[in-house]
Amino acid sequence: MEQAILKLKNIYKHFGGIKALRDVDFSLKKGEIHALIGENGAGKSTLIKILTGVTQMDEGEIFIYGKKISIENPVVARFKGIAAIYQELGLIENLSVAQNIYLGNEPTKKFMGWTDNRILLKNSSDYLKEFKIEIDPNRKVSELGLGQKRIIEILKALSINAQILLLDEAATGMSKAEIDILFKIMYNLKKQKVSMIYISHHLEEVFKICDMVTVLRNGKNVGTFKVSNVNKQTLIKTMIGREVYDEYPRRKLKPSSDVLLQTEDFFAEGMLKKISLKLYKGEILGITGIIGAGKSELGGALFGSVKRISGKLKIKGREVDLRAPKDACIYRMAYIPEDRKNQGLFLAHSVEDNLLIANINKIIVGKLFLSLRKKRIYAMDIAKKLRVIPLDVLIRAQNLSGGNQQKVVIGKWMIGNPDIVIMDEPTRGIDVGAKTEVYNLINELADSGVGIIFLSSEFIEVKNICDRILILRKGAIVNEVKSDDTSSEEILTIALGGNNSR
Amino acid sequence: MGLKGSKIKKVLKGELGLVLVLIFIGILFSILSNYFLMPKNLLNITRQISTNLIVAIGMTFVILCGEIDLSVGSVAALAGVATGSFMVLTGSIYLGIIAGISIGMLIGVINGILVVYGKVQSFIVTLAMLGIARGLALFWTNGKPISGLLEMFGFFGAGYIKNIPASSIIAIFIFFVAYIFLNRTKHGTYIKSIGANREVARLSAIPINRYRIFVFTISGILCGVGGIIITSRLLSAQPVAATGLELDVIAAVILGGASLSGGVGTLMGTLIGAMIIGVINNGMNLVGISAFFQQIVKGIIILVAVLVKRGD
Repeated sequence: MEQAILKLKNIYKHFGGIKALRDVDFSLKKGEIHALIGENGAGKSTLIKILTGVTQMDEGEIFIYGKKISIENPVVARFKGIAAIYQELGLIENLSVAQNIYLGNEPTKKFMGWTDNRILLKNSSDYLKEFKIEIDPNRKVSELGLGQKRIIEILKALSINAQILLLDEAATGMSKAEIDILFKIMYNLKKQKVSMIYISHHLEEVFKICDMVTVLRNGKNVGTFKVSNVNKQTLIKTMIGREVYDEYPRRKLKPSSDVLLQTEDFFAEGMLKKISLKLYKGEILGITGIIGAGKSELGGALFGSVKRISGKLKIKGREVDLRAPKDACIYRMAYIPEDRKNQGLFLAHSVEDNLLIANINKIIVGKLFLSLRKKRIYAMDIAKKLRVIPLDVLIRAQNLSGGNQQKVVIGKWMIGNPDIVIMDEPTRGIDVGAKTEVYNLINELADSGVGIIFLSSEFIEVKNICDRILILRKGAIVNEVKSDDTSSEEILTIALGGNNSR
Repeated sequence: MGLKGSKIKKVLKGELGLVLVLIFIGILFSILSNYFLMPKNLLNITRQISTNLIVAIGMTFVILCGEIDLSVGSVAALAGVATGSFMVLTGSIYLGIIAGISIGMLIGVINGILVVYGKVQSFIVTLAMLGIARGLALFWTNGKPISGLLEMFGFFGAGYIKNIPASSIIAIFIFFVAYIFLNRTKHGTYIKSIGANREVARLSAIPINRYRIFVFTISGILCGVGGIIITSRLLSAQPVAATGLELDVIAAVILGGASLSGGVGTLMGTLIGAMIIGVINNGMNLVGISAFFQQIVKGIIILVAVLVKRGD
């Protein structure tokens, strides 16, 4: 048996109260392509960040060639031969392909360390030839397509003689032809004994290119398999696991048959296909899909945050034109965005300021002046109702835990008594207890007649919270299921492009 | 330093710390010059800082909203020229004043529209406007001051009401209105929110574009007021007036604790910042420090203030 190039033992990592990784063991052999799969939030990216020195683990040991090492920062990781390719690109658009490949590692002349452009160009063009990639090294990166950029990024990682390559959702957004090139490169690297960890949501890719597969669930390693000995169904089952369903409270009432919001051939910036959907009064409508399926784009477009290009949007039967979020608010819509810290909260402002910002008219007296007393009363009232802890509306939002921050984002809209609430990943990054509280809140809202569009890529959650579920793939609705007639495994299978799709 | 040290540091970083700095500088100059603490000189200081303070109030709005306005000095000069030439043309003080404020407002609106709808950074738009407005002032007057203004007009810049300079009273009045507006109306809250995080503000249904144009408009109007006071004080409209005003004004706002990235800052801080700069200018003149050296001292003070704040 070959020696493991990389070995992780008993890795633990907490973020605030959330356990991101629990007692994870992992081992990677030389020349192996090892897939790392799991639902969103399972801990895959955290593991990658620890390996690249972006974050530090709380406990555990890392061995390279049997030797214990510590990875304090990204420079150390690079020095140890570990390189990562992320979903977001790390290239400098204004520099040429050659300059990017050798960024920070330029061949220099002896005199004053000037870059030797001739050697730079020659080396990179040799390099591109070696991998049979037809890209002119003089071209600016900004002129390349996404797939080409990612390939350049891989070459950049290899230019430092990486022995371990981490590919985090590297194929996302690439065309089929580009993915083929990517796989060809990966195969060549494998022959050169480079080891790779490949994170993906697409099981087909795992079966096509990987040797081993490890499944993470809730921060735990729940199984490592040889790809040749396992099938798709087993992997899906392992990813979802057997969960205790009690953390998902059931709602009391059924949705009514009054249509609150309706779209016909709705098409907006950043979406791929036209969308037609209906939301009923008192309904929790789930919209799900894997990352990149277009959930967030759809949610933003319904709220007027992203520009609509064509199609109709009707609210309570009336056709409306939303050009900006402020228009959506006139129709009593609310939006809880995916990225709490950059879209939902003024982190440096107090909790009460955050709670009142979208409904500040409620605390105006005499047509102009703000009543600080009223502000305090409203803020305390909603904070109590949502059980924000600590119950102090004067502290800055950044000092709250993730779950309590999310309550503040929800509370900020509840003050306005909305009719329609769009929630994008409302439970992302918050712990189990806080999740249940958020679910209870959602149920209460729906029971009071509010229509809720629940965007989430956690399939168990969608199955257990929503009344009806629309499944998106590549920007289009591919299926609609009633939550009572489906399972999270079925949703995952459809979302991944399994057999059940229409 | 431990807990106690960090507590002291925290206090020093707030507005109280600024007041202490102001007092310290005051004591220093009162030792160095017998004249410094005399009531006449103190009132004189309030008159000297009034223009800076008025323009700095507008700048506080702009900086709180996450933008910057480099054109204030030039706009003040242009507004002064407009006031002077309209007054000479019509013989009316009021029409002159209206002309000055209108041109300030107009340029503010243009700045705002270019930033918001032209999607150009405010640093660049207002840097260009700095050149354009100054050029207009020089072109309009052929580079020569407009004199022969009505004697009565001198009241705003050089007159007194019961020993208190009229310009100081105007500045205090504007400060009071701006203070209420910024701290006690939703508009103030919106401006600070847009500066703190434009995306969160947009998604909170705030009409961000309207407010971004608004802050430049306010800045333009207050530049107009500042330009009128300068013109009134000299009884002559100088196309080269207020050169470099933007530096003193931005320094006052930053000294007052505002962050150039927006969302953080107070008008009280700006007031104290403007006072510190005014006292330093006045004190150094009294002590007889050369005008060249004064620039160095002011630069160092700004650097120290920013370095102390950076420790957050």
